[in-house]
Amino acid sequence: MRQGGPVTLYREPGLSRSCLVLGWREDLGGLGLRTTNYLIRKLDAKEFAEIEPDDFFALGGVAVEDNIAQFPDSKFYVCPEHELVVLQSSSPAAEWHRFLDSVLDVAVHHCGTRELYMLGAMVSLDAHTAPRQLLSVANLAEMKESLSQYDLARDMDYQTAPGQRPTLNSFLLWVAKERHIPGVSLWVPIPFYVAAMGDAGAQKRVLSFLNERLDLEINFSDLDRQIRQQNEQLAGARSRYPQVDDYIGRLENNLTLSDEENGELLKKIEEFLGEEG
Amino acid sequence: MKPDLGSVMAIRLYKEPLLESPILIASWPGIANIGIIVVDTLKRMLEAEEFGEIEPWDFFYPKQVLIRKGILERVEFPSSKFYFKRMAGKDVMLFIGQEQPTEEGGIYAQGTEAYGMANLVMDVAQRFGCRRLYTSGAAVALTHHSMKPRVWAVPNHGDLIHEVREYENTVLMSDIEGRAGHGNITGLNGLLLGVARKRGLEAVCLMGEIPVYLQGLPLSYPRASKAVLEVISHRLGVEIDLSELDELDRKVEKRIEEFYQQIPLEIRGQLDRLRHVAYAQPTEPGPITEEEGKKIMEDVERFFKKRGEGG
Repeated sequence: MRQGGPVTLYREPGLSRSCLVLGWREDLGGLGLRTTNYLIRKLDAKEFAEIEPDDFFALGGVAVEDNIAQFPDSKFYVCPEHELVVLQSSSPAAEWHRFLDSVLDVAVHHCGTRELYMLGAMVSLDAHTAPRQLLSVANLAEMKESLSQYDLARDMDYQTAPGQRPTLNSFLLWVAKERHIPGVSLWVPIPFYVAAMGDAGAQKRVLSFLNERLDLEINFSDLDRQIRQQNEQLAGARSRYPQVDDYIGRLENNLTLSDEENGELLKKIEEFLGEEG
Repeated sequence: MKPDLGSVMAIRLYKEPLLESPILIASWPGIANIGIIVVDTLKRMLEAEEFGEIEPWDFFYPKQVLIRKGILERVEFPSSKFYFKRMAGKDVMLFIGQEQPTEEGGIYAQGTEAYGMANLVMDVAQRFGCRRLYTSGAAVALTHHSMKPRVWAVPNHGDLIHEVREYENTVLMSDIEGRAGHGNITGLNGLLLGVARKRGLEAVCLMGEIPVYLQGLPLSYPRASKAVLEVISHRLGVEIDLSELDELDRKVEKRIEEFYQQIPLEIRGQLDRLRHVAYAQPTEPGPITEEEGKKIMEDVERFFKKRGEGG
């Protein structure tokens, strides 16, 4: 029931010490959407609340993508066996702070959330054959320390470049810090030329971490199959287009491609995928 | 779950017709009133019966007052009304909104009020077990008024793509050159699709093509409404007499031709080329290139701007 605020709660999720995993729909390569979809499906998580869109999106109509009318949504799912909450959300267009506060209100007041995990992807100029990295940014020293036993980079240095603005994940980390809720944003670099096809390798990388950290007991055989298919597709593109093979070979040898070559590689891969259907 | 309308003060139902999985066809005003004419024609041809409305005061300012001998007798608001027609397994609900609720004086709905209005329409649709929803509007296209308008169809779910491809004289966004499957549907005719998607209800927006150079004129474009109605009547499996739209079209055609002759010769020359456009598949080079299309659009916009400045 919607009670004055922007949140509609369909039922109490029945959690006391949960962790919340958040993915944004508009993430690079669809990482946030694909990863949260995967968790929801594998853990049979059920929707229990949502943030209504009218305060945070213009709603002057609908966008059409790939022939289909879209609509922003922000839905909370619960998996009680694992004390897990999954939030899959469109990125709000306005009132970021109030939106993020609403996320934390649901987490704290209805789910007893003790930790937050935010998913994000970034562009990588590495070859797809290189292992995916996982980078982390924590909002509290003890959270960072608690991640020391996992295979992830924890000492990132970064400052927002002039003219850009911080991501929603960074903003949420800060809002959570203000409320003394430990959180970490997880970043997977995705090779630029596989982003459009959705990088199953990146998904596996972040999911493997969550599986271990949150003791989710997920079997990844289906995802492993997707990774094999993706690698076979890319091998097919390399054998059909010698130029693609040359570009990827150079990336594998840590050489840099020119902007023009990057564009050409991207175009050829898209062409190949289009032909393959 | 059926919404309990007893608690929704903004909805007033005069009766509770027994309907069997009806489809809802809804529209609000937009370019050339293409969508409104569709639903209004359906209402009259099917002799649909009014059964409810959305109360206006939360959404609209009064549009007219009637004062007689110094006494205020009546205040009128834009109406938002529901109609129904029982047709043996093909029951229909219609909704006509006379205006779109806007927050900043624009033409198209936006913001909390628009979302509220869309949700109220959906509440009523679900209350009567609606299984499918259609909205209708205009698609501004690089086409000529001598051509039969196509219908652009946008579903709110991927499962509907296959069905929509079967509709006659209908295209998806990806079939339109330069669109690559992307675009926007402005106002409530689009927003209702989104709200239906949120509630898990199938919906399709059907937009009749109107030539780009006619979009700013205070004229209806009945042949586009007719194109949409042909699709809807086929979907409903009912014959609808559209002769009155043909009659209206003949009248509008005269005024369009008068306007067309006022367009400067060099722009008209370019527009005349659109008479010969056989619709191209996205992969085929069309008789008018994308560049040329852009130039025509720019020239037309410049012409309208100049015309507006000149009064």
